[in-house]
Amino acid sequence: MKRMTLREIAHSRSGEKGNNSNVSVIAYRQEDYPLLEKLVTIEAVRKLYGPITKGGITRYLVPLIGGMNFVLEDVLEGGRSRTLAFEESGKALSSLMLTMIIEVPDEIVERSVQVKQGGAA
Amino acid sequence: MKTIRLGSATGWARDRFEPASQLVRDGRVNYLCFDSMSEVTMSAAQVQLMEDASTPPYDPYLEPRMEPILRECKEKGIKIITNQGWLDPEAAVDKVLEIAKRQGIKNLKVAAVCGGIIADRVAEMGLDFIETGSSIADRSQDIVSAEVYLGARGIVEALKQGADVVITTRVADACVYLGPLAYEFNWDFNDHHLMARGMIVGHLLECGTQISGGYFADPGYKDVPNLHDVGNPIVEVTEDRIIISKLPGTGGLVSEQTCKEQLIYEVQDPARYYCPDVIADLTKVSFKQIAPDEVEVFIHEAGLPRTPTLKALVGLNEGFMTEEMVLFAGPGAFARAELTKEVLRERFKRVNLVAEELRMDYIGMNAVHRESSPLAAQEPYEVVLRLALKTKTRAEADKLRREVDPLAVNGTSGTGKWATSSPGSRVRPVVGLYSALVPRELIPATLVVKDLEGARHESSVPDA
Repeated sequence: MKRMTLREIAHSRSGEKGNNSNVSVIAYRQEDYPLLEKLVTIEAVRKLYGPITKGGITRYLVPLIGGMNFVLEDVLEGGRSRTLAFEESGKALSSLMLTMIIEVPDEIVERSVQVKQGGAA
Repeated sequence: MKTIRLGSATGWARDRFEPASQLVRDGRVNYLCFDSMSEVTMSAAQVQLMEDASTPPYDPYLEPRMEPILRECKEKGIKIITNQGWLDPEAAVDKVLEIAKRQGIKNLKVAAVCGGIIADRVAEMGLDFIETGSSIADRSQDIVSAEVYLGARGIVEALKQGADVVITTRVADACVYLGPLAYEFNWDFNDHHLMARGMIVGHLLECGTQISGGYFADPGYKDVPNLHDVGNPIVEVTEDRIIISKLPGTGGLVSEQTCKEQLIYEVQDPARYYCPDVIADLTKVSFKQIAPDEVEVFIHEAGLPRTPTLKALVGLNEGFMTEEMVLFAGPGAFARAELTKEVLRERFKRVNLVAEELRMDYIGMNAVHRESSPLAAQEPYEVVLRLALKTKTRAEADKLRREVDPLAVNGTSGTGKWATSSPGSRVRPVVGLYSALVPRELIPATLVVKDLEGARHESSVPDA
């Protein structure tokens, strides 16, 4: 087993709905999706977003695209219209997800290595 | 077999201008679709109108967006669908007719889809806010704006009546795509699988280049060719196929990954994506790359019947907010920023600042991910202290700048200032957005079709 950041096997996009934000986690390779399902749990996500998420965190699975959707409630200091947060849209929250440290089997190849070698799909 | 091509001209009100003209010239599209809304658009427009009565009640970019394309669209038979009507779609129709007259365009019909604005009556509907469970009537004094998300039927009716340009008030963003598809393929609005098909196409395209390489690049991980020239997306739809591509000869990227990211963008439960005309199940969607920058979308029976209610957004007056920045760099920057914070806290006490909320962030350290930011490993070379204040009154909010500007001469060593030469107030009104569910029968949508000869035809939209 080895440690890497989530960024090495998954990509992410985030946005807003009122005072909630959603952050997706999508496997670069469909075969890595079960690993995501096992590692990227609500508990792991709360460790990252807990300090700013005042409400619940829900995980929704979307296996056909090898992805999942996290909904963070009450995370935007009131939502775009009234927030005092400097970043008001939730669109920058995805990059925090990618900092998650995960432990994966040795044979998993990092995305950054694949891209460098030109073999990334 | 009938093939319809829809081009996505904008993904929001302040998106780029050039792609619309490119799509008309090179996109071989049948429809040019503009989304100009985010959640705050209508309430922000209302505030703008209250602050300055000369502001147009529709998207102020309507004219600069329509001006360069209207003639060529008419000549090529490309129909324009846009939600830039905001608070008064009929006024937007008049503006487009005025442009057409100026340009000598003949035989243009322009339609307004109206009826979703309920600011004057939402307090009497006996509804509660979803977020708080409290009664809307109790806050009737504070209501700034209220509008429902209409569905696609008004757009279909407008096209049936021969409109060349359809301008709507608030509709669910994806409806500017669902509308033309439902019209062209004569879809039954009771067939929820077909509605979901159109709604999902719209959902994928509504944010413009977010599906064709925009909001995607992450160098070394997700590389996008020529992002500066990112091409706007085009969807080609037949009875049985949906293919997403982009403007030929442009930068950007249409891949399974870009499509996947957009599929669940700004979605809560992907299995139940609530729309005015249907509930769509996004977990039934998959993608396949069939050529470079061409992805086929597969949607398998993804519809559930629509709900009996429409979602409304209600904007409430919630006081005022303002922000200021103070800049530091070099040795001791962080210590000087910390001292400045202390100085300001003491001075706020002296002027009896009554803050509803006050935030102090360090840009570059913790302003974006806020309290979830990791601690800095080393002292930053630059520190920007950013202050944001919310208050009940405008006068109270003015106190922030009155204490920050003086730091130029009585703050710490090497205190840099931001935008001090800009005169006037940076204080702006705060409109808090809440939502509610409104029974459909309380929302009679109407359609107004006008032409260059001055004819005006008004009709009701069946079961909008």
